[in-house]
Amino acid sequence: MTELQFTLNGSPRRVADQPAHRMTLDWLRAQGLRATKEGCAEGDCGACTVLLDRGQTRADGTPDWRAVCACILPLAQLDGCRVVTTEGLSDGQGQPHPAQTAMAEQFATQCGYCSPGFVMSLAAIATRPERDDDSLMDALAGNLCRCTGYRPILDAARSLPVTQPRPNDPALDAGQQDRRTTRLDYTAPDGGRFVAPTTLDELAALRAALPDAWLWAGGTDLGLKVTKDGAHPPTILSLDRLDALHEVRSTDDGGLVVGAAAPYADMLDRLAALAPDLASYFRRLGGAQIRNIGTVGGNLGTASPIGDSLPALIALDAGVELIGPRGRRRVAAADFVTGYRQTVMAADDLIAAIRVPPPTPGSRFAGYKIAKRVDQDISGVSGCFRIAVADDGTVAELRAAFGGVAPRPLRATGTEAFLTGKPWTRETARAARSAVLEDISPISDARGTADYRKAVAANLVERLWHDTAGQGVTRLEAL
Amino acid sequence: MTRRGPVFAPDDNAAAPARARPTARHKGGVSETAPHDSALRHVDGGAKYIDDMSEPAGCLHLALVTSEWAHARITGIDTAKALALDGVATVIAAGDIPGENDMAPVMPGEPLLPPEVAEYVGHPVAAVAAADFETARQAAKLVEVHGEPLQPVLDLDDAIAREHYLLAPIVFQRGDPGPALSEAPRRLQGGTRVGCQDHFYLETQVALAVPQEDDEMVVYSGTQHPTEVQHIVAHLLAVPHAAVQVEVRRMGGAFGGKESQASLVAGLAAVAAAKTGRPVKLRLDRDSDMLVTGKRHAFKLDWDVGFDDDGRILAVDMQLAGQCGWSVDLSPGVLSRALSHADNAYYYPHVRLTGLFCKTNTQSNTAFRGFGGPQGMLAAEAMLDAIARSLGKDPLEVRRLNLYAAPDRLLTPYHQTVEHFRIPEMIDQLVASSDYARRRAEIDRFNAGNDVIKRGLALAPVKFGISFNKPEMNQAGALVNVYTDGSVALNHGGTEMGQGVFVKVAQVVAEVFGIDLTAVRATATTTAKVPNTSPTAASSGSDLNGMAAKQAAETIRERMRAVAAEQLEADARAVTFAGNQAVAGNKTIGFGELAQACHQARVSLSSTGYYRTPKIHFDRETNRGRPFYYYAHGVAVSEVAIDTLTGEWKPLRTDILHDVGSSLNPGVDRGQIEGGFIQGLGWLTMEECVWDAEGRLLTHAPSTYKIPTARDVPRDLRIELLQNAPNEEATAFRSKAVGEPPLMLANSVWLALRDAVHACGPGGRAAALDAPATPEKILRAVEAMRP
Ligand SMILES: Cc1cc2nc3c(=O)[nH]c(=O)nc-3n(C[C@H](O)[C@H](O)[C@H](O)COP(=O)(O)OP(=O)(O)OC[C@H]3O[C@@H](n4cnc5c(N)ncnc54)[C@H](O)[C@@H]3O)c2cc1C
Ligand code: FES
Ligand code: FES
Repeated sequence: MTELQFTLNGSPRRVADQPAHRMTLDWLRAQGLRATKEGCAEGDCGACTVLLDRGQTRADGTPDWRAVCACILPLAQLDGCRVVTTEGLSDGQGQPHPAQTAMAEQFATQCGYCSPGFVMSLAAIATRPERDDDSLMDALAGNLCRCTGYRPILDAARSLPVTQPRPNDPALDAGQQDRRTTRLDYTAPDGGRFVAPTTLDELAALRAALPDAWLWAGGTDLGLKVTKDGAHPPTILSLDRLDALHEVRSTDDGGLVVGAAAPYADMLDRLAALAPDLASYFRRLGGAQIRNIGTVGGNLGTASPIGDSLPALIALDAGVELIGPRGRRRVAAADFVTGYRQTVMAADDLIAAIRVPPPTPGSRFAGYKIAKRVDQDISGVSGCFRIAVADDGTVAELRAAFGGVAPRPLRATGTEAFLTGKPWTRETARAARSAVLEDISPISDARGTADYRKAVAANLVERLWHDTAGQGVTRLEAL
Repeated sequence: MTRRGPVFAPDDNAAAPARARPTARHKGGVSETAPHDSALRHVDGGAKYIDDMSEPAGCLHLALVTSEWAHARITGIDTAKALALDGVATVIAAGDIPGENDMAPVMPGEPLLPPEVAEYVGHPVAAVAAADFETARQAAKLVEVHGEPLQPVLDLDDAIAREHYLLAPIVFQRGDPGPALSEAPRRLQGGTRVGCQDHFYLETQVALAVPQEDDEMVVYSGTQHPTEVQHIVAHLLAVPHAAVQVEVRRMGGAFGGKESQASLVAGLAAVAAAKTGRPVKLRLDRDSDMLVTGKRHAFKLDWDVGFDDDGRILAVDMQLAGQCGWSVDLSPGVLSRALSHADNAYYYPHVRLTGLFCKTNTQSNTAFRGFGGPQGMLAAEAMLDAIARSLGKDPLEVRRLNLYAAPDRLLTPYHQTVEHFRIPEMIDQLVASSDYARRRAEIDRFNAGNDVIKRGLALAPVKFGISFNKPEMNQAGALVNVYTDGSVALNHGGTEMGQGVFVKVAQVVAEVFGIDLTAVRATATTTAKVPNTSPTAASSGSDLNGMAAKQAAETIRERMRAVAAEQLEADARAVTFAGNQAVAGNKTIGFGELAQACHQARVSLSSTGYYRTPKIHFDRETNRGRPFYYYAHGVAVSEVAIDTLTGEWKPLRTDILHDVGSSLNPGVDRGQIEGGFIQGLGWLTMEECVWDAEGRLLTHAPSTYKIPTARDVPRDLRIELLQNAPNEEATAFRSKAVGEPPLMLANSVWLALRDAVHACGPGGRAAALDAPATPEKILRAVEAMRP
């Protein structure tokens, strides 16, 4: 198959002349659809936000429209989907969408360059009835505005009625839905390929045949290699259509299985059920557009020392399920990354799922992400803990993990050993400092100096104490 | 509120002594909350930015080849591999510039492409033109630049230590601070620092140059200063100014970053277009934009201050060392404004302010909303904070004590007498409305009972001088055309970057004609219509262009009045313009009908207008004069909380009272206040430019450079415009400029953070907290403050 088919602003489109790594934003703009802007080409500003319907429905039966960044979304990934851009957001009968009127009437635009992106994020908000301020800010965390100071945009968001983008359009029909369940194999005129298999066997065969192919989940990491470094993957092997990797389900024992290619957004509710702090920790990973498409599998795949998933998974004693030519195996999250950007995976291994065990009795999870900015920032330091305190006030169990303080996300075994069995007091929490400093070996970079990282990592143990046993106001969130 | 001095009536736009009250009022005149003229186009995608225009046939795209060295002699540029790539049209370097290789806005010596020496990592030394951007970018990587590294100077401290200056220091002096300092009962020496800030306009720098017949060139340039781009392109191409036309409809934000630095982008596009004879577009991608263009100047601010036991300042000796980067650019103006705002709202009986032009091998720092003023003001506020802490007093008390005051405490360090000073009453009003005293006590109680989270509260005044520091720049032109159907086209030198200058000036014109705003259309700024303009900067856009347009409209209206008098058979003095009509007694004629009648009567319906700001003068030798026509004022109270374990912080509440005179458009003005405040909050807290030891900027994209998001806005934000406060000076309908001053309201956030840090220790000294106050700096300051 050498043609991509999708619905753009209500009209069917067929594309066969684009490179396999062509990003949606570049294609839209080349088509003359220039409402969608480029502000960064790295998923960080939201000026390129568009809405994507992948044929999934929500509990209330409405389409699951997602705000995504067109700048790092391969055009080929639109195959079988509906896409809406600012130009096509209205009902198709000349009436602007309420997000557009609300923004225009409430002084929510100044220079207007960010506005189409905000309009799309607002249109995504409008599809959901729940509308508390926190969720609004979550939904807007991936959109930057340099002019307005946001207040009028938030007001516009608060005023939105519940409505669909292009409400008069038909949903994806069966034919289009079918596309998404059959394998896509797009070969571009320049020979580049975008292949989205539907079974693990197909994937394994493709990987064996095409060793240079890029394994592509959400592309929120890989996409930047294309847009910023100018890299051209010979083949993109997309995990988008592998249902087997998209499942998110609770296990009988109260644990959780998250498919490696399930976007973060799909797992937040379940994380919240497992531990509220876990969901709020993951909600600070990227902005809405990133969480709508980025995956845990990709986060582990990068093996980044500052990736946010692993510290949490290590603290929770989660397992990483791998599939290789010799079958499935499971490694502990703590053992997954072995060194700077190195993992236990062989070249032909695939991350299949993350298994989070049920909470141990009496334990509590706490996750901290320290960055210059609250939303959509990469951690300078992250610290995650699972702690259980015995009736006699001593630490019955502690699992501690840090990110950003070593060449890899790290289980702080020295810290754990130091505290386990000791009385859980502010003094012991403070005394753990030297153990923490033994465990970690941070460097200085644009996000912080090594000294700061040391100070914070050690202080996070005390922060944990305040959160589990402290008195008075001990968290900014409480104010 | 009550104000001293006479209350001025808003300008009367009609010559008629006795105006018949019109039955209907036109919509969208001055003082109305009219939406931005492009608001609907912004949200439906209809608003076109330069990169959105369809490219002319044969258009080439440019990509930059930049220096990898912070300082190096260029010994050769090898373009063979790049030229061999399919689709590459040409590579331009210094030798390809037909005219004068200079893009300096103020002092000559800033080559468009350096012929010999690269001065910073990111310095463009060549550019590749190709059929599409992707090819150009790949080809740019294939260009080999050979060079011999030279010793760089990379940071401010190094530059100060070596006295590595671009220009001789400037000094503002009044009185004799030396003896006054030594005789003062108390004396403190201290300082603070503030880092660079990237503009981070959402639309990166862009230009499209399209060759015309003969030697002519049309340049669509994202610039705040079309005239300067016109001149520079003309000089680069060795053609007369008249051969170059520069046009800009709108920019996606600018904030000063597209004042002088747009010339580089436009200049490169024009040189490549002239060389190839084809249209050429250059749009910097985000990384290039941040790596190549300059930022807000970082400053090291040091003071020596003498004061009495109450905290009243007796003498100040202050050094303001600005990091200019590799070239002069607009630094003279920036330093001058830093010095002229290092008093902020406070009277210094004896004062010496010294400004240093530190040269570093980094991007050339440039204009940025406030133009040095914010940095100067920050020095004053940090110094006042230090004085108050040393005395164990609430800084608010010490601030009040030092405010400019009649009769004999009104002279600024540049010898301008402060007039119409509104800060004292504004502080009173805001202290009351923000419930400052009760909250101060409550926060102190909270801090006494909590040792992990500390809260802070601070009030900061802002007095900002309005006018370009250079008197000759304070002039503007406009062109108004009335068509025979009564519709009006408006053109002026102001460029639209989101600040709403188009709608405000259109409101002025609508008001003059007494017609609905919808009948007035602002058109793209172009050097072909209104020549020899000043940049849209220094908050002056509406002041200057509003007055020029007002004059143009008034000229036409007076011509129309005569015709209307004939038509209505009335005395010309009895004719008024309102409600889309000319009215005399009970007779009316529609504005469109009247325009048609004027045409029939062979009366011109087109006029230019011109304005120059009165009263201002400044002697650059002595640094004395009256550089500012008037002052804009603001006061803010902010409350924050910090986490003493991590240095994280959170804004809790901000109250703002801001003086915009009689607002031309309260909706637009409020937007400027909120947007400016949040931009200032970013500058002082999270926006941090970091260079490595080789001089490479590490923070060159939003992944590493963090501007505020929606969550960083104080949950409780209360903004009031000062009411019944027309400008005492005769500005457009007694309004005041609003573009820059609100940025500095964010000083209150920074001071509140210092207050929270102060609460971590026994007191007696100010928090050692520089800007930007990142969590790291806050934590360090907390640790330094602990007993
Ligand atoms: C704006 C922005 C904000 C971000 N914020 C954060 C943040 O706050 N915290 C954070 O940790 N990260 C952040 N990231 C980084 C990135 O989004 C995450 O790491 C994300 O989880 C990557 O997932 P992905 O599916 O997009 O990965 P991809 O880009 O698709 O893949 C990343 C790597 O993993 C490999 N891979 C993907 N899936 C598998 C699999 N199943 N098996 C084996 N290998 C696989 C790929 O081959 C590739 O090497 C941010 C990125 C952006 C653009
Ligand atoms: S362009 Fe900035 S997020 Fe896509
Ligand atoms: S309106 Fe200019 S960036 Fe948002």
